[in-house]
Amino acid sequence: MDFYTVYTGKRPVRLSAALRQWAWRVMHGEYGDEAVKNDSVSMDEFADFAERSPLEKYDLAIRQIALKAPLRICGEESIVGSATLGAAIDHVVPARYQQNHFVSSISHLTIRYDKVLREGLNAYQTEIRERLADPELTEEQTAFLHSLESTVESLRIWHGRYLEATKDAKPEVYALLQQVPFSPARNFREAVQSLWFLFAFVRLCGNWPGIGRIDWLLGDYLRRDLESGAIDLRTAREFFASFFVKGCEWIQSNTPPATGDAQHYQNIVLAGIDENGKEIANAVTYLVLDIVEELGISDFPITVRLNRKTPEKLLRKIARVMRHGGGIVAVYNEELVLRALAREGYAPAEAVHFANDGCWEVQIPGKTMFRYMPFDALQLLNRALGLDGEGEIPDLRSIEQVYDRFKAELEATVKALYKSEVTDAYVHDGKRWRNAGGQYPTSVVSLFEDGSIQKAVPYFDLGPVYTVLSPHIGGSPDVANSLYALQKVVFEEKLVSFAEMVRILRDNWEGAEQLRQYVKNRYVYYGNDAEDADLWHARICDDFADMVKTCEASSDIPVKFIPGLSTFGRQINWLPNRSATAFGYRRGDILAGNASPTPGTDMNGATAMIRSYCKTDLEKLSCGAALDIKIFPESLKGENGITALKELMRGFVKLNGYFMQLDTMDLQVLKEAQQHPEQYKTLSVRVSGWNARFVTLNREWQNMIIQRTAQGM
Amino acid sequence: MESRETLRLPVTKIQKFCTGDGPGIRTTVFLKGCPLRCVWCHNPETQSAQQEFFYTEKFCVSCGSCCTVCPTGAHEIVDGRHTLDRGKCTRCMKCVPVCVSMALEGCSAPQTPREIYAEGMKDKAFYGKTGGVTVSGGEPMLYADGVAELFGMFRASGVHTAMETCGFFERERLQTVLPVTDLFLWDVKDTDDARHRQNTGVPFEPIRENLLAADAMGAKTVLRCIFIRGVNDDRRHLEALAGLYESLTNCRGVELLPYHTYGDSKRIQLGLPSSAHPEWIPTAEDLQSAKAFLRKYVKVI
Repeated sequence: MDFYTVYTGKRPVRLSAALRQWAWRVMHGEYGDEAVKNDSVSMDEFADFAERSPLEKYDLAIRQIALKAPLRICGEESIVGSATLGAAIDHVVPARYQQNHFVSSISHLTIRYDKVLREGLNAYQTEIRERLADPELTEEQTAFLHSLESTVESLRIWHGRYLEATKDAKPEVYALLQQVPFSPARNFREAVQSLWFLFAFVRLCGNWPGIGRIDWLLGDYLRRDLESGAIDLRTAREFFASFFVKGCEWIQSNTPPATGDAQHYQNIVLAGIDENGKEIANAVTYLVLDIVEELGISDFPITVRLNRKTPEKLLRKIARVMRHGGGIVAVYNEELVLRALAREGYAPAEAVHFANDGCWEVQIPGKTMFRYMPFDALQLLNRALGLDGEGEIPDLRSIEQVYDRFKAELEATVKALYKSEVTDAYVHDGKRWRNAGGQYPTSVVSLFEDGSIQKAVPYFDLGPVYTVLSPHIGGSPDVANSLYALQKVVFEEKLVSFAEMVRILRDNWEGAEQLRQYVKNRYVYYGNDAEDADLWHARICDDFADMVKTCEASSDIPVKFIPGLSTFGRQINWLPNRSATAFGYRRGDILAGNASPTPGTDMNGATAMIRSYCKTDLEKLSCGAALDIKIFPESLKGENGITALKELMRGFVKLNGYFMQLDTMDLQVLKEAQQHPEQYKTLSVRVSGWNARFVTLNREWQNMIIQRTAQGM
Repeated sequence: MESRETLRLPVTKIQKFCTGDGPGIRTTVFLKGCPLRCVWCHNPETQSAQQEFFYTEKFCVSCGSCCTVCPTGAHEIVDGRHTLDRGKCTRCMKCVPVCVSMALEGCSAPQTPREIYAEGMKDKAFYGKTGGVTVSGGEPMLYADGVAELFGMFRASGVHTAMETCGFFERERLQTVLPVTDLFLWDVKDTDDARHRQNTGVPFEPIRENLLAADAMGAKTVLRCIFIRGVNDDRRHLEALAGLYESLTNCRGVELLPYHTYGDSKRIQLGLPSSAHPEWIPTAEDLQSAKAFLRKYVKVI
């Protein structure tokens, strides 16, 4: 039983054989398979269900889930609570009325956990009751607060069932559950159980929350227990490993190929500074890294907050985990992220607690309703150039005229997004701003978002302290490369006229092979640390960020509108709508992912990529911009391989990067995995804060990863 | 040393993010020209100091641009397809800049130390305390003045300098580079003099003498030893390596580099006959047991 690694050295063994075997079974789909057989609970027993209000339906459904969802208790686990209903894996509240699911669920958020750990769920109940005493509350607000109260009650029902089930079977866990999550956690074991129980319940109800800063949440509990001798590190690791194995409970043995599983946005953020500027990396930080280093679990994508003073020991540990592949650990440059958040108006004491939405888009956890709106900038350029049809070719005489036309398209897109997502989406009712419609009940997550109880307003209705909407530019490296190629070949070297170039691109480079080779081979594109193309990328992102902020300033609606850069996997979905590009790529060729270079254009390796990426003012892309780099295990051999990874991370911080995913990749292994998927069930790959088991990806996605991998050769 | 604008180094490649050419992350500068002719050479384009070009047939789109500039008819389009007759080629290099598909690529370009320095400084953020710049080849000691000028600039900027050398050079050149070279990656291809002559074209003895002299002058070294199955994988060679290591005061360790055949693709691109010896590739077990043996006497890197 060897957990997969691309590195020549084996993964360390620190956990017990029993735990490792259990992990293996869960990672190979035992619980996921079980869950899909129990898809949802049924609401059919409620005769008047159809007549009830959406909020009443929701509350009933959550209660029914708490009452009826199968419990799972397994011998190896040291904490309990399981999201056992399969429909939750499909991002829906797992309750059916007359065959149909009737309400969606929430993702792209990290809820607040620390208050439950410190004060217990009972404190929430008290707070809601106090709030209900307010005579000023409207009927709507009262109904919402009752729904929150009902959520706490449902949690109590589910908790009661686990108490019953563990009483004889698992007395140690029973003892934990007698305290948590309703009362404050007093030690590490209780804190882990409390955190997991809350997370599991929110997931059981169909939501996909992130975990956030787990070492900040749990560090003090473990420190106290270690100091008092209540626990030792080995015992703590074995105990804590349950959390990670249980986090794999949605893996199925035969996930239908699509965009990949293991991406339920359950991101963990480690290390970084606290409100006093002190590094928080602690024993929990290292236990998390120990466990994923050993088991290769990628279902909790981990992002470590780095700064110039990140301890050497932590960098080494991250490097060791990275080297095994699977993209388990990524890094933020927290110095830049904190500057970006300050620029967006967050108070320093607030910003310092940043985590993410469960992927890599930065947010203040437990206080934020977040959504992002992706668009394809390359299609905008195509439209600007007149590539999107057979119509008249615009008469453009300089690269600046080309760029102005592109900028106009970009501005129109950003403005349209602001209109549809903000100005049209929120109305002022005389008392306050509110969502104009289209929201659905969200009490299970609203309960754990600061602001919702105080305002007595739900998640989508500006309840949380912050509502953040983020347009994400995609394909910006491809736009930069296109502009650079046009600048050179049309306007400087004048090898073709602009109109001829447009015709060539409309014809998908048919009959112009010589010129295609010329533009492909003679110019140095984004990602090679060559000034020209890199600066085009910087300029595009800069203008985009300014446009977003101009929109935000144009209204009083209390919604943050912040720029980000991503494609995630959309470079695949966008392909059919993209034409050939001026840098020599044909229609259908795979183009850039996130802020990474267009595949096949980066020739100078990891350091050049980082430098190119860092020439863009990433502080202005405050929501985030991801750079994905895959390095062959060959380059990371021995002690010097660890040094190399450490220095890449240090350089990334020095040069003002934002988010970087360094991954170890082996092309041959990937090709073999395509041929024999059954042998590579646990091989995971990660593309920017998002990750998946390779074999669960469809062919196109697999090819995209292989293509990227090949660039490193 | 005074900078001379005329001084140029024949650079075949400046490679970023190298993790196998000295400590940390390094930028490696490959120079063209070597006094040795190792039969296992994996950088055949760096042997001759003459200008040469690679021809990669699969990149060729048969556009015929090269034919229009070739003065000897070495390039021809026959039945719509490009052919190259290396026998007619005078290495005038006129074809290289007109090739659109990079099927024809010059093997080297002359660069001043300042230009190389500027390129190497780009990655300074990644060098940290350990990384830096390595000059390799080919044989850098053919260009001791230029390399010394280059290293002097890096040193002044706090960048670690390393030189990979075959050790076969005029002894007095050591004085030129020693003050600015932090580390020598010193190739010891074989300790058996007869085999060394046979497989590299030169004797081992002057290399050993240079190494001892450099060590006496305080040069820090790492011995880089190609490991070839059936050629130099015998116990006597390994023992001699251990003995050599022990005779040095400033040697930091010994590195065994397993033979590979990747260099053969470049021979084909240069129009040279294949010389791959797959049977020379050591097994992982061979390598492990040789390292285990060496570890008893030396620090193995």
